[in-house]
Amino acid sequence: MSQKSLLSASLLAAARDRLDISIPVLLVLAVLFVLLPLIPGEFILVVGTEILILGLFALSFNLIHGFMGQISFGHAAFFGLGAYTTALILQPLTAAGGLGTITFLLAILAAVPVSALGALVVGYFCVRLTGIYFAMLSMAFGELIFYVVFSWYSFTKGDDGIQGLMPPPLLKSPVVYYYFTFVVVALAAALLWRITRSPFGYTLRLLRDNPARTAFLGIDVRRVMLVNFVLAGSFAGLAGALWGPFARSVSPTLLGWAQSGVPVFMSLIGGAGYFAGPLVGSIVYTGLNSYVTRFTIYWPLTIGLVILAMVLFLPGGLLSVVDGWLKAKRRGEP
Amino acid sequence: MSDGLEVADLNAYYGTSHILFGIALEVRAGECVCLLGRNGVGKSTTLKSIMGLVAHRTGTVSFDGHDLIGLAPHQIARLGLGYAPDERLIFPDLTVRDNLEIAVKPAARAGLEPWTIERIYALFPKLAELDGRAGGYLSGGEQQMLTVGRALMGNPALLLLDEPVEGLAPVVVQELTRQIEHLKDTGLAILFAEQNLAFAARVAERAYIIEGGRVRYAGRLEDLEQQPEVKRQYLMV
Repeated sequence: MSQKSLLSASLLAAARDRLDISIPVLLVLAVLFVLLPLIPGEFILVVGTEILILGLFALSFNLIHGFMGQISFGHAAFFGLGAYTTALILQPLTAAGGLGTITFLLAILAAVPVSALGALVVGYFCVRLTGIYFAMLSMAFGELIFYVVFSWYSFTKGDDGIQGLMPPPLLKSPVVYYYFTFVVVALAAALLWRITRSPFGYTLRLLRDNPARTAFLGIDVRRVMLVNFVLAGSFAGLAGALWGPFARSVSPTLLGWAQSGVPVFMSLIGGAGYFAGPLVGSIVYTGLNSYVTRFTIYWPLTIGLVILAMVLFLPGGLLSVVDGWLKAKRRGEP
Repeated sequence: MSDGLEVADLNAYYGTSHILFGIALEVRAGECVCLLGRNGVGKSTTLKSIMGLVAHRTGTVSFDGHDLIGLAPHQIARLGLGYAPDERLIFPDLTVRDNLEIAVKPAARAGLEPWTIERIYALFPKLAELDGRAGGYLSGGEQQMLTVGRALMGNPALLLLDEPVEGLAPVVVQELTRQIEHLKDTGLAILFAEQNLAFAARVAERAYIIEGGRVRYAGRLEDLEQQPEVKRQYLMV
């Protein structure tokens, strides 16, 4: 029996009618991202590209967190699997010279099935648990994959990482790679948006709010959770694939638990309850990181204080402020 | 292979607490059966164990020849069991219509007329008036009708109702009683948990009295009228 029969078109229409601030927020952000290269200097392009890649990583994480109600502390494993897949394909080609654009695109896409497979294996076990147990098991698997990459020197070059990665000549200039990243991330975000508005997306919210009710209505909760886990891992892998050619190298830290914390922080800052929240979080997190580290080496202290302030004063994230402001305005309050 | 629900030697546990001790009961096709008992004796746990919502359970539970022990709740639901929990668990943000549409599921067993929104509204006219109202803004009785309606939309062959009239005003109880009697006429089998003997006697043919996680009495409700000591001991009436 298909999930579709469980959720009718009118239910979707009802949900669409409800104002979601993510659409206007995404449109405004898209315009800003398109205009960003007008700011002179290469640095802004580097920051912008990083915001987009990590933003997609965080958006994929939020499928698990915001929409499914679980926290994964091992999501970087799939980001890293994607990054290494693309890097391992590109590195010999780049070294030999003559990397074509088509080959490059295929190498990027190759990351998706590898990350999906990784997420299928990890997810198979994780979706049996919820809450803190889900979080801990995902972290354990993340660290397991990290150590495999870290230790398997003959294949992954271990702690040395893989160096000398490059986009093909056509995409090599920072502004072109920035726009290339923008297009890939925008397409992926559109697809993610579609997923969260599909019957499948509503089933996720259904089981997030009450798994028992979802089950006695006839939905296979674990299967839906597993499919979602694989989807989240696939998009994280795509984000990871973009990383290597951008940073010119990949290293095992991309899979570590510190990297897994990044999308958690981004979702917290932007607002996990909103589709666009993690992207807004990436702008704040990555933007702050890029500028603060010019003036101080105490980046963890800085982001720690930001997180502390968010948790204490804005638990719904930055978008909840915009949301509250718009709702008050619609009610005609000053 | 037989039509209906058969439960034998059902034991259920919450953690290390043993809740049900060898429950045995049966509900034939088209029959309306009641689980009677006071608060906390295991009525809800029995229904939840049949539905698979209590994971730790042993014994025999079979429906239309399918063994339900070891199956997950969604698999049990797809075999034709509908469940209306006493907490109701309607969707507060969805409208009445959405609450019903979300539960559409093809019937597992042929023979019963498929449910549509229109049929639900014909059964519960009050819901038709509330079509566009959000579930969270319904009264207790309206929520109960919606919970039953939602379970029916899954086209069950057996409906499990957990205390359907608990906490409702007498006039609403009367209304629901008539509606459940009407449901029986459609050929649907019903197993419901109840403390209210008067309500149970109106709609059910047979009853099982549960006390301390065990079946203490099984028989026709008319025969129970002749046994005041049983009623006093287990139902305090």
